[in-house]
Amino acid sequence: MNGDEITTAAERELGELTRDLATTSLAMARRFRAGATLWCVSPTWPHHARHVAVEFVHPVIVGKPALSALIGPAEEPIAGLRASMTRGDLVLAIGDGHDVVTADLMRRAHAWGVETIWIGAGPRPPAGAADHVLWLDDAPGTAAVDGRFILLYHLLWELTHVCLEHRGRLREPAPVCEGEVCITCSDDGQLAEVVSVRDGEAQVRTAEGPRIVDITLVDRAATNDLVLVHAGSAIARVSDEVPA
Amino acid sequence: MSEESTGFLYPMIDGDDAGDLDTLLEDLATSATSKSRTSAELTSTTLGALDQQLDLVAREMADRFARGGRLFTCGNGGSATDAEGVAALFAVPPGGGRPLAARSLVADVSILTALSNDIGFEVVFSRQLIAHAREPDIVMGFSTSGNSANLIAAFEHAAGAGLLTVGIAGYEGGAMAASDAVTHCLVVRSDSVHRIQEAQSALAHELWHRVQRHLPDPALA
Repeated sequence: MNGDEITTAAERELGELTRDLATTSLAMARRFRAGATLWCVSPTWPHHARHVAVEFVHPVIVGKPALSALIGPAEEPIAGLRASMTRGDLVLAIGDGHDVVTADLMRRAHAWGVETIWIGAGPRPPAGAADHVLWLDDAPGTAAVDGRFILLYHLLWELTHVCLEHRGRLREPAPVCEGEVCITCSDDGQLAEVVSVRDGEAQVRTAEGPRIVDITLVDRAATNDLVLVHAGSAIARVSDEVPA
Repeated sequence: MSEESTGFLYPMIDGDDAGDLDTLLEDLATSATSKSRTSAELTSTTLGALDQQLDLVAREMADRFARGGRLFTCGNGGSATDAEGVAALFAVPPGGGRPLAARSLVADVSILTALSNDIGFEVVFSRQLIAHAREPDIVMGFSTSGNSANLIAAFEHAAGAGLLTVGIAGYEGGAMAASDAVTHCLVVRSDSVHRIQEAQSALAHELWHRVQRHLPDPALA
């Protein structure tokens, strides 16, 4: 690779990243305005999760409002976050693409109605692993990556505050229903997490809130299982395996 | 904490809420691009300007590690998290460097709150060093302003106890640059707290890299 190619690749990565940063910041500002808490998690690099939380709670610029941000528990983060996160919250994880705890958390957060942000480096997680993926191509652990993670969440903080100062642009667009089937209004393969099971029915958490579903079509469903729900019935259990 | 009043950070984005969303997103991306470039330039300029000093500090640190020295890191707020990251980097290096004894003095909330409650926040690091530190240990403190009173207190105790003291500062280096208790003060010359922290991270990684290179071959020890 010659110098020009390196520059071009770096510029391309920067262009993509900054567009992703802009849309992620707008989404975060919308959630904060609606009362969200930002949950910060990094199983591999817990100091980064703490740094994100302190940025939002104790702004470096005097006069910027403190926003609600908390770190997830170090031990059993998923169990702790399941109990603490509520619908409409945000979760930001920092971890490489092979981080199975983060992958599982991001997936479950969808069923909890929590918007997900994944910051990482190296090989990417599978498409759709999080609502917002902010990614560096360098291998994790290389000298430059740590400072660039810090840059990414510093920029997220800065841009989120810019968005918060533009109240008129924070209104969420209304969902558009086209044709006969609308994913938002129907329940086409809705992801759900089982809260409790009783007599062929389960109480589940979904992005749209809690509901009771029939579980007679799946052989067994236990508390904390992820299931796909269609027309009021759990139609499949979602595999625990996370693609490498 | 700084008093940057910057019209807020983004003068190119006006306060008009009637503007369309695409324009806002474009302006945000443009601003993020410019700040990313500033960050990369500051990192590169800092590493270049401190090249010789970094090498000297790395040699002295490697010598102390070789003699059984341990690294203690400290800082406040975002700098506390950077101090934790650096302690982890030295103790559990990614990709197979030599693990070195390193611990962050912000890791134990019980100790931090006990000292803050019973005595005061300015002693949270120095009192821990009184308990732990001995020659040939090293203390490394991160502060963007260079003025954190609890770091200065830690450096003063450490210098008296024969430790190597390394300060990582921003702005013009503040009290850390002026203190005789700080053997080496590495300064990231910028007045943005965020850009300083980003460059300090690169500086600490470069230091770690050079310490690894200067460690004596264990087989010859």
